Amino acid sequence: MKKVGFFIGCNTAFNRPDNEASVRYALPKLGVEIDNLDGQTCCPAFGTMPSIDDAAWAASSAWNLIIAEERGVDIVTTCGSCYGSLSESYHNLHDKPGMKDKVNEQLAKIGKQYKGTSKVRLLVNYLYNEIGLEAIKQAATINLNGLKVAVQPGCHTIWPSKAYYEGESDAFHPARLRELVEALGGSAPAYSRLTDCCGMGAMRSASPERSMILFKKKLETINAELAPDLIVTGCNSCLMQFDMSQDQLQKKGELESVVPAMHIMQLLAICLGADPKQMTAMSVQNMDEILNKICGVKI
Amino acid sequence: MAIILSEMDKAFIGEIRERGGFDIRACVQCGKCAATCPLSLAGFPFYIKKLIHAIECGMREEIMEDPSMWACQSCNRCVEVCPQDVKPYEVLLALRRAAVRELSVPGNTIEGLRNYYKTGHAVYPKGYQAKRKAVGLSEEPPSTLSFPEMLEQLQEFLRNSELNEVGLFPMKKEEKK
Repeated sequence: MKKVGFFIGCNTAFNRPDNEASVRYALPKLGVEIDNLDGQTCCPAFGTMPSIDDAAWAASSAWNLIIAEERGVDIVTTCGSCYGSLSESYHNLHDKPGMKDKVNEQLAKIGKQYKGTSKVRLLVNYLYNEIGLEAIKQAATINLNGLKVAVQPGCHTIWPSKAYYEGESDAFHPARLRELVEALGGSAPAYSRLTDCCGMGAMRSASPERSMILFKKKLETINAELAPDLIVTGCNSCLMQFDMSQDQLQKKGELESVVPAMHIMQLLAICLGADPKQMTAMSVQNMDEILNKICGVKI
Repeated sequence: MAIILSEMDKAFIGEIRERGGFDIRACVQCGKCAATCPLSLAGFPFYIKKLIHAIECGMREEIMEDPSMWACQSCNRCVEVCPQDVKPYEVLLALRRAAVRELSVPGNTIEGLRNYYKTGHAVYPKGYQAKRKAVGLSEEPPSTLSFPEMLEQLQEFLRNSELNEVGLFPMKKEEKK
């Protein structure tokens, strides 16, 4: 049986535990055992240790990488930001001259040592490369029957491509999330702003108004070009933005109708037979209609 | 506002290079990063291309007083498209590191770091236990929150790190009760 270390990340654990529950449902169904990486911490987020010091950032990520290597597993993440921070640290530890020694000097003070034997993997990439589209198709008990989906891969899931050893083959035309949705029976056409930033992240904290400029532009394009039934993200932060912000815009009268949003792991779990309400329990949006449509029955 | 270049901070670029933005001098201001930077698309005055130019001009105060650097999404589009391999995002991080040492830091950044030190999580919202329980998960995730001895070890590491050096908040070892 395959085994991976599940790096949960703060936002998934605390704000979207339904997405965490989806990962915990879906992976075993696909023959993957989950190790909890006991004692894991923040990745750390870009606004924290990375904004203090290079080596302290790498050492903080190494805390998590070491837990994985002690258990002999690779790390998988459902959050783009965690994937980004951990992967950049991994890249810096392996490719920046002297970084690994510097980090190990810091870690020796608490009796730890970074070796570099565990890799960091985004769940989208893990599903695509390790499980495979065909196996996913075979395992699914629900077919999306041509449901129209707009995908939102997420910035940190694609760039900087040099930090991602199993990244997309074309970093400006990411295809994997679309192919995963298609394997589940959905239709996931390209659209012109597919790789645009959704506005979540540091910008939303620094200036919600400016973050909304990016979000609205992206959403308007999605609605004008695709008018989809569902938005599917590859990143937990994008999920939060598409869930919360459409609701806020609608309440302000700036948006007529909302498009329900899910993370790919939520959609996958539902297609593998999970309780659809529980897998989307933290949505601010009303998910009833889309869940009925996906499941083909009133739930 | 008049900018008199001869009166600007000539040491600034050296500090940025030391703190991680080593390749800043390779920038030719071509603007590829500006065309793709979320900061510029959302209308922030100092998006990455302008930040680099301003650092080269030694405009330390002007940049430090502006919130743009803290709104950077860390998306790394700039790193991806830069034809000169400046690694602009590393310049931006170096800039934040310089700002932190002047204690020119937004409150939510300090809050995130304090949360990280106290719990192991930078994002630590109230009331999550009920949410986790509602979807059938343990109230605490299997992180440092569930393993107090590992949290203590993390805190010891952080007390020995640059985070303690910059002194944004007190990081004393808590007395055992």
